[in-house]
Amino acid sequence: MKKALALLVALTLLASLAVGSAGALASTPGKLLIWCSEAQVPALKPMAAEFQKKYGVPVMVTEMGFGDIRPNLITKGPSGEGPDLIVGPHDWLGELVANGAVAPIDLTANEESLFTGTAIKAFTYNGKLYGMPYAVEAIGLIYNKKLVPHPPKTLDELMAVAKKLTDPAKKEYGFLYPLGDAYHAYPFLSADGHYFFRLTSKGFDAKDIGIAQMVPGARIIATLTQSGLVPKGSDYNTMASLFQSGKVGMIMTGPWQIDSIKKAGIDYGVAKLPTIDGRPATPFVGVQGFMMSAFSKNKLLAMQFLRDFVMTKEGQLAIHKVDPRIPALKSAFEAVSSDPDLKAFGESAADGIPMPAIPEMAAVWNAVQNALTAITNGQTDPVTAMKTADAQVRKAIAQGAKK
Amino acid sequence: MYSRYGWLGQLWRQVVVWLVIGFAVFPVIWIFSASLNPSDTIMGQALIPKNATFAHYVELFTSTDHPFGLWLWNSIKVAGISAALTVLLASLAAYAFSRFRFRGRREGLVAMLIVQMFPQMLAMVALYLLLLKLGQYVPWLGLNTHGGLILLYLGGGLGFNAWLMKGYFDTIPRSLEESAMMDGATAFQAFLRIILPLSRPILAVIFLLAFIGTYSDFLLANIMLTSRDQLTFAVGLRIFISGMYSTRWGAFSAASLVGALPIAVIFYLLKDQFVSGLTQGGVKG
Amino acid sequence: MAHPISSPRPSRPGISFAGRPLALLAAAVILALGAWACVYLYLRGDRWIALILFLGLLATVYVFTSPRVYPLRYIWPGLVFFVLLVVYPIGYTVYSAFTNYGTGHMLSKSQAVQQLQSALYAPPDAKTFTFTAFGDPKGKIVFLLKGADGQLLLAQDGRVKPLSADDPQPVSKDGGQTYERLGDLPAIPPLKLIARLSQLQNQTFAYGESVLSISSLNQFSEMRHQYKYDPQRDVLTNLATGKEYRPKDGYYTSADGQTLSPGFTSRVGFYNFTRLFEDQAIRGPFTEVFIWTLVWATLTVVIQLVAGLALGLLMNDPYLKLRNFYRSVLILPYAIPAFISALVWTGLLNTDVGIINGILRHIIGFNIPWFQSPFWAKVALFLVNLWLGYPYMMLIILGALQSIPGELYEAARVDGATPGQIIRTITLPLLMTTIGPLLVGSFAFNFNNFNVIYLVTGGNPPMVGAQTPAGHTDILISYTYRLAFEGGQGNQLGFAAAISIVIFVIVAVISLIQFRFTRLAEEVSTDYV
Repeated sequence: MKKALALLVALTLLASLAVGSAGALASTPGKLLIWCSEAQVPALKPMAAEFQKKYGVPVMVTEMGFGDIRPNLITKGPSGEGPDLIVGPHDWLGELVANGAVAPIDLTANEESLFTGTAIKAFTYNGKLYGMPYAVEAIGLIYNKKLVPHPPKTLDELMAVAKKLTDPAKKEYGFLYPLGDAYHAYPFLSADGHYFFRLTSKGFDAKDIGIAQMVPGARIIATLTQSGLVPKGSDYNTMASLFQSGKVGMIMTGPWQIDSIKKAGIDYGVAKLPTIDGRPATPFVGVQGFMMSAFSKNKLLAMQFLRDFVMTKEGQLAIHKVDPRIPALKSAFEAVSSDPDLKAFGESAADGIPMPAIPEMAAVWNAVQNALTAITNGQTDPVTAMKTADAQVRKAIAQGAKK
Repeated sequence: MYSRYGWLGQLWRQVVVWLVIGFAVFPVIWIFSASLNPSDTIMGQALIPKNATFAHYVELFTSTDHPFGLWLWNSIKVAGISAALTVLLASLAAYAFSRFRFRGRREGLVAMLIVQMFPQMLAMVALYLLLLKLGQYVPWLGLNTHGGLILLYLGGGLGFNAWLMKGYFDTIPRSLEESAMMDGATAFQAFLRIILPLSRPILAVIFLLAFIGTYSDFLLANIMLTSRDQLTFAVGLRIFISGMYSTRWGAFSAASLVGALPIAVIFYLLKDQFVSGLTQGGVKG
Repeated sequence: MAHPISSPRPSRPGISFAGRPLALLAAAVILALGAWACVYLYLRGDRWIALILFLGLLATVYVFTSPRVYPLRYIWPGLVFFVLLVVYPIGYTVYSAFTNYGTGHMLSKSQAVQQLQSALYAPPDAKTFTFTAFGDPKGKIVFLLKGADGQLLLAQDGRVKPLSADDPQPVSKDGGQTYERLGDLPAIPPLKLIARLSQLQNQTFAYGESVLSISSLNQFSEMRHQYKYDPQRDVLTNLATGKEYRPKDGYYTSADGQTLSPGFTSRVGFYNFTRLFEDQAIRGPFTEVFIWTLVWATLTVVIQLVAGLALGLLMNDPYLKLRNFYRSVLILPYAIPAFISALVWTGLLNTDVGIINGILRHIIGFNIPWFQSPFWAKVALFLVNLWLGYPYMMLIILGALQSIPGELYEAARVDGATPGQIIRTITLPLLMTTIGPLLVGSFAFNFNNFNVIYLVTGGNPPMVGAQTPAGHTDILISYTYRLAFEGGQGNQLGFAAAISIVIFVIVAVISLIQFRFTRLAEEVSTDYV
């Protein structure tokens, strides 16, 4: 035992010698720093090398957990420890702009017209463009071709198909989606043209809250669960694993699930979301893009990088290759539009509305998620649930606005 | 208190232990199952997934973008050093609280414990600012350094550790030190040569607690470390799971299990330390 | 057990360096370094830090030289870290609780002003220019701009003027398409200019009411400043409308209530606290949440203690075969990140498709609504937290068991006590003196165990009809942090800080009562009465 202790001490001492130091990484003049998450790294690294070769300007790509990028920029940016560019979805903008963490980018009208309108609109906040989009995404209907040869076009068809395929005793289900998740539930909730916040020409109006009116959608959700079609424990992970085991006919989710489904060996197809009461379903559309830190000391350099690699077809296709979402640059989209999966997700997105980026959304997620859980648990009826959520959101926003 | 028992006694104890082990290991088996699943599902429908593969493990040790071996080593290094220092600091303090009588002694002990109950939510920002400032003057204690991170870990748990150790020291008879001091040893020498060796079990426990605490921490490390080669294991793991929906459970599960191994090994290596000289009399054949 | 020592001890010396030159040298070096650092910091302008360091040094010298505070020498190193890493962050939290720190107010006032001041916008008919840069290696740089009308302008030293005959003349070989030199200065090719872009990004050149600045590698654009800051009056003026904005509640605000973003951190007095206490909606579910929090923290400790005790006793049993192996296996739940194990548990407990219900269905014939019923959701939480937490209890009990002298057991056995009696009368009481305070600590930890609640149930199932979102398994901290982080205005860190303080007061009071009530802080040792 003496030996073990001695060994431990020796190890520790040895280790302490190895305590190295590495200078903190931050935006330094003449050197570009990009924070991104795992998905984009393989595409950005070669671009960084090319940029350096072309202009002699080093570009560092730092990989970070997706969820950490936004808070890190907000806390580290002001202290001078932030990057020049970050990669993330447009709905981060509300918080980032409110905190003065991102800077607007200037594109000419010509340049803007190279991107799809939705993408530019999503990154426009308070009338200014705050990012260069590279991908658009929305949820669609993914189906198992073995069980569902022809994807349903309407919600009624979907329910009929689902009913036939559902047998809870065998853990077989016709249709699953994450029940308690407001993002996935939005196509239902927005049935009949309802909305969380009204979309005006100036963006989302945080004063026009329509949650209490979302009863038709809430009723659909109640029907889905109470008729036994969608089991109570249907969350994202359950949905994914059951579909991958080949026991589920259809699921409603986004392109991020495709890779896993392929690996699981499922013969799948993607379809546009079914219409609800004759109207197209409106999912939330998320747009991914590059945003400029307000604390960047290399804004012009960063713009050059964006113009060279994100505003070009080759650049967008290179990113698309490792992060297969719908390219936001028109020319790049055309180049990949023969892909049936992308086409279907694209059609879903075309009917969708951008996810609101305003900070008030934080209150909505929480309240609506509670309402959804209460409905699917059978704890309350759709009318009361949505009314409660509406009141909670109004209260939270009023409370926050006092200061 | 233990006495030798027959095969029946051995049997029921073994049954109890195996039931507990079943409880302990059951979820771990499913994590293992997830780590073999090629399609990144956290809860597969079958214990042995379709197309089971060790690819996630291979990726862990071959990926050039994610140097897991290095991250594991970083974690062991940071956790090892801070745990050793924690034991040192706590044992010194515990000795004073156990052996000396001074004003504010009990209040101090209670205060340390209570103060540590403060919710840590905003502490991160404060500690970040601390390292930012420190790094301006002492680069190897700044942000993105292991030195700085180790420093931050030294604050955690002093109250709890000192209490635990003091309780143990209290049971060591004073007569042992007194005779040493008669022979001219100072209080410090008595502490070093008599108290510490007699307290190996509790030192081992606190070392282990501190080690695991820092080894698995990601909150602090995640804020302080940014560059790839400096990351600790827990922070590196986070890259896989911080996405909204596109979470890489397979790689994450594999990495979690690989990361748990060093702790089990260290625990096993420390096994002899848990037997104390004090309690030998309790074992009767 | 032991003999009392007369106090004060003979062995409480001041530090004597006699015969210990190395120690003396070390002390001198440390002191010198500290003193140097103080001066250095002071000169660098970090006066407060210099002062704190200086006082710290003084205190250290006092502690290590005065025999009166001899015991403090042992506590001092730990105490320094404790103050730096535990007390200082608490101080920071307390400070934040009186500010509006949070979304919209993350920047300091000067940072916000700087951002607003440097904000540019393009006027309606903004002109653009192509340009050529000329420079010498020393860094001097001059720009020759060409407007849409072909007029040549010279931009240098922050100003723009038409190129006149007195200026150095541009030299072109292709009739004005491209330029090679300007007077003696050679042109800088765009690729070379790139490397210098970062020095140029904030350079503006006055151009009438507007400014010109580089907007891309081949273009200068006309821009206007949006705001002008008057430091004397602390007023921002919108240059286009003439509207004035004054600081109010963390925003520059106009007379008609318009605010400029970003805001800045400012003090708000007791606002965060009054908000917490005056909000009717918060009080609504408060009672239920509070009672559940108490039940949760208490029962968790009891369950974990019982499990830890049983396992500790078993794993301490020298006759148990394979116990070293068992120990290493039993520690596993502690070694695996709770993030994944908690999620796996929620999968195992899934009501309709989970494995556990799959097994139970065969035994009891129906599904347990683990996460749908408030009662079962709580049971699930206890179960998962038992799994996550028993190794800690087992470890400290294993350690503490080693301190119980064998002679005591011996004596008890001689007296004919049964194993049960021995555990009850000897093991437990002695164990409690060591780990009792840690149980209080464990209670406090679980009182605020946000992670487990968040990962396992997320507070669900929801309370129906609550005025503010709350769930049946929400504990005080998860419930109140929802208000701070999932309210309408992003992350309200100042409010979260106020919540932390209030919850801390509650926990501290409960813990102190526990100490009193159980006399846990009483002495074990019989040395002193």
